Amino acid sequence: MGQSLVDFLKGYAIKSYVMKPGRVVVEVEASRIRDVIVKLAEALGRDSFYLSTIEGTDFPERKLIRIDYFLNVFKHNAYLVLRAYLPREKPVIPSVIDLVPGALAGELETYDLLGVVFEGNPYLRRSFFVPVEVASRGVYPLRKDSGV
Amino acid sequence: MFRVVEATHIIEIPIGPQHPALHEPLLLKLHADGERVVKVDVITGYNHRGVERLAEKNSFYRDIFIAGRVCGICNTVHADCYVRALEYMLDVDPPPRAKYLRVLAMELERIHSHMIILAVNAELAGFDTLFMYLMKDREYVMRAKEILTGQRVLADYMMVGGVRRDIDEVKRSRILDLVRRVEERVRYYHEVFREDVTINKRFRDAGRIKHVDALAHSLVGPVARGSGVRTDVRAQDRYDAYNEVPFNVVTEDYGDSYARVMVRLGELHESISMVKYILTHLPQGNPVPDERKLPRRFPEGESYAVAEAPRGELTYYVCSSGGDKPYRVKIRTPSFNNIVNSAFAYVDQMIADVPIILGSFDPCISCMERAVVTDLRRGDKYQVPLKKLAVGGVRM
Repeated sequence: MGQSLVDFLKGYAIKSYVMKPGRVVVEVEASRIRDVIVKLAEALGRDSFYLSTIEGTDFPERKLIRIDYFLNVFKHNAYLVLRAYLPREKPVIPSVIDLVPGALAGELETYDLLGVVFEGNPYLRRSFFVPVEVASRGVYPLRKDSGV
Repeated sequence: MFRVVEATHIIEIPIGPQHPALHEPLLLKLHADGERVVKVDVITGYNHRGVERLAEKNSFYRDIFIAGRVCGICNTVHADCYVRALEYMLDVDPPPRAKYLRVLAMELERIHSHMIILAVNAELAGFDTLFMYLMKDREYVMRAKEILTGQRVLADYMMVGGVRRDIDEVKRSRILDLVRRVEERVRYYHEVFREDVTINKRFRDAGRIKHVDALAHSLVGPVARGSGVRTDVRAQDRYDAYNEVPFNVVTEDYGDSYARVMVRLGELHESISMVKYILTHLPQGNPVPDERKLPRRFPEGESYAVAEAPRGELTYYVCSSGGDKPYRVKIRTPSFNNIVNSAFAYVDQMIADVPIILGSFDPCISCMERAVVTDLRRGDKYQVPLKKLAVGGVRM
């Protein structure tokens, strides 16, 4: 299944590789993330996968923030990871909340803890998880230089 | 002449963060038109502990014990999922006996977790006697877990390359005996939940979630399976000994609170038969690894482990930059999806049904929000090293 997932996304993939244990990672342009999800829903069927996790990692030396979308393609026993890199100075990525409402929790958390703006998500707010006194100082705790 | 004009008033009713129907801090802000709920805001952030940041500051091995403390009820599943993420990175494969014992610990945990939420569901429906009975019989499982791991609750049972304790013949037969007792009681409770009039009236049709909505909103575990979504990571990923121990994935189609309760009852039977299978088919060998021989530094790389916790799919992403501490640990617990994304399920329901619906999602807030110590009097914050916590705790 892994190889056919990569084939589906051939037009979008910058590169693809495997994360242990056997999760297919496809790197895509941040601006095309919505197209990729629409394409996947067309190719696999909307009832064959759900968005499992959104994870963000800070790389201050490379001046990048990485966003991973882990999709559980349970009908085909596979996990697909969509990976996008954003500039650390202005981490903005289109929100997928209207395509996949399950992205709500992950997008809110990633915005509150890492400061990634999901453009088009009307529910983004600070203090979703982070205490008010930390959020009011404009600190994103999961950034490596946050001092938390 | 006067004329009566009916105007719609939307009233805001907070449930929580401290509320008799909730066992942990969470705020459900209900917007109600009369008795009918029109909108719910789920407000979180009362209990955030910063576990992911804490994990980055401690070594790979200390994090096994931190992962176990993310959630009390499902601590062995958390530790197992994290430990497997490390094993995938190191290419370590634990011996068969260790895999069986891990599944044994996790299935015992599923049994007591499902029993506690069924008890809480009964209590929310006003059936306190059933709550008491279920909690009493849950103690058999807690004792079985204590015999296996050495602790009733926080087991600290998992280690890279195996488990931390083996069982002998005496322990094996004692656990088997306890599980047989529980099996008999679970059969009785299944009957009660199926036939009791009050339970049927309270749970049926409350918070119905359609198959398509459960998928779109990324609901996981018994909540998704109660809506007919056939997803179970144990069957999908076949980690540990789940490729050898036989079991069925339990699903219900209707998607209401009653269906979710029935899924949990069905899973109790499955877990009990798995525990019995494991105890009668335990492979030979030494499941306890020599911890002194484990590598201190980890190779550069990343891994993504998943586990079916009692509440659903639990995921751990671990990234290593080639040192003795992880660069990033991302924990996504099942309640995080099931509680934050499920606000739509309360719409058009009665106010009195809201606790029933929330209870049927099996909320675990401590899982969802994961230690910076804050001194409220002086208003400053500081990190506490693990060593200090170990020798005397934190002086407040």
